[in-house]
Amino acid sequence: MTEVLRLTIDRRDSLAVIQTEGYINNQGGEEIARAAYDLLDGGCRRLLLDLTGTKIINSIGISILIEIIEKMIEVEGRLAFCALTPTIEKTFHIMGLAQYASIYPDQATAVTELLP
Amino acid sequence: MNAGSVVAADTAAAVLRAELLQIAEQENDGRRLAERLLQILDASAARELALRGQLKRQDFEAKTRGVQLEALYDVGLAIAGTLDLERLCEEILMRSVSLSDARRGALYLGGGHDLELRRVFGGDAPARLPLDATARESAVLLPGAVHFLAVPVESDGATKGLLVVGDKESRKGVGPFSTGDRRTLELLANQAAIALENLELHQAALDNQRLEREIELASEIQRQILPKGTPEVPGYELAGWNRPARHIGGDYYDFFRLAHGRELGVVLGDVSGKGVPAALLVSTLHSSLRLLLDRLELGSDLFARLNEHILASSSSNKFITLFAARLDVATGDLVYLNAGHNPGILVRRDGRVEQMGPGGLPLGLLPNMSFRAESVNLAPGDLLCLYSDGITEAASPSDEEFGLERLATLLGGVANDSLCEVVTRIDREVSAHAAGLPQGDDQTLLLLRRNPD
Repeated sequence: MTEVLRLTIDRRDSLAVIQTEGYINNQGGEEIARAAYDLLDGGCRRLLLDLTGTKIINSIGISILIEIIEKMIEVEGRLAFCALTPTIEKTFHIMGLAQYASIYPDQATAVTELLP
Repeated sequence: MNAGSVVAADTAAAVLRAELLQIAEQENDGRRLAERLLQILDASAARELALRGQLKRQDFEAKTRGVQLEALYDVGLAIAGTLDLERLCEEILMRSVSLSDARRGALYLGGGHDLELRRVFGGDAPARLPLDATARESAVLLPGAVHFLAVPVESDGATKGLLVVGDKESRKGVGPFSTGDRRTLELLANQAAIALENLELHQAALDNQRLEREIELASEIQRQILPKGTPEVPGYELAGWNRPARHIGGDYYDFFRLAHGRELGVVLGDVSGKGVPAALLVSTLHSSLRLLLDRLELGSDLFARLNEHILASSSSNKFITLFAARLDVATGDLVYLNAGHNPGILVRRDGRVEQMGPGGLPLGLLPNMSFRAESVNLAPGDLLCLYSDGITEAASPSDEEFGLERLATLLGGVANDSLCEVVTRIDREVSAHAAGLPQGDDQTLLLLRRNPD
């Protein structure tokens, strides 16, 4: 299992897909935040976080994701997640992330929903 | 901002409000009033912000505890739902690392003298650890980690493993783990112990099933090989009887018509060991004997060849004790060979008992062995009894064997009984001697009596 987070960013028109692989902890969360804020600064307002390669997340990682969601709300953008493990999906529901960000089963479904 | 600063902001707003009221009563200064009003509004905003922050943190902590409870519940379900230890190890370690906000972790399992690394996350860990407390205090657990927390996986008071996490994360870096983290980790270690116990119980059940199947297979092999009845030989009475033990041994007996019916061959053997290997060696003995009897007389040469066959087709610690005899049906002359087997018992018509002792070592022990053939004459009324050690070594509750002497004495008093009745008497007396103890070995009898004139 990959433990240090790796990111792949894919721009599709107005949507940016950030694919993660590895542990979303303090370091991993900050990597995602950096990428997300760069995309926001570049004018992107729709972000999809594809967690296909992530099996583990801790509370620090979650708090950083919440900050990203808050930032997206602030700029009237939209953040969504896809391809979550059942454990991570359950965690997102309990922690309230699912209230403010959509969750899709896979990237294809998410892209179809998010692209205008 | 913490709870203290919220209270301070609240108090400041109250003071300002009181001051404003005082100014409004004493002065008619619009500018001063407006300035004070702004101050009140600022204080109120600061207070609201502080409260929001506090509520947000409390909400986050409550939800985090919810995640922990759900995780423990899920791990419990996973343990109940699978016996895949690798998957359970990964599940338990991942949950431990994430719930304690650790950067690294490792799970060791074992028992006995040391512990084996089953799963590691976020860095290296030694492949094995000694099963003692000092190892848990050493940085050897997670080399390079600044902080770590280790709890034992215990079952029935014995250490079965070790769950260790390293470097608790915060937004500022890494630090030590809390008492709450230890509690969470202990709960997960308990779950790991339950998983291990379940797995051990399941493994024991599988072993039992495998043993049952092996016993069934061995029994089937034995049933196929042993004769279904006894041949009809004019002037003689024959009986064969076998009762396998719970754990199959390797007793064997058979009858052969030889020399176009002029002779009768009888054999009784006992293969060392138990279960399928013993049953397969009985099968080898059976087929080798049948093949050799097509070409050789039942005698010393045949035993020498049989010895080579058994030696070539069995492992080094396997051997067979075998008693075989060739009877001239017309004269009663009996040539016998005894390769390390219990002495045959010849009961003369007048009740005298003669023993037919070994004339060589068991088959399959050493190459180039020779076997001595002996001769006796079976006179009318004489009885030959071959048996396996399951009869003579049947033990009583005081660990006394039934013994050759008891068997010989019993056989001395059966002149008027049919061989079927003799078998029943031997079985009854051996069972009475064992007094309900489980049968430890196969029990086999082969009886041959020349009819009285």
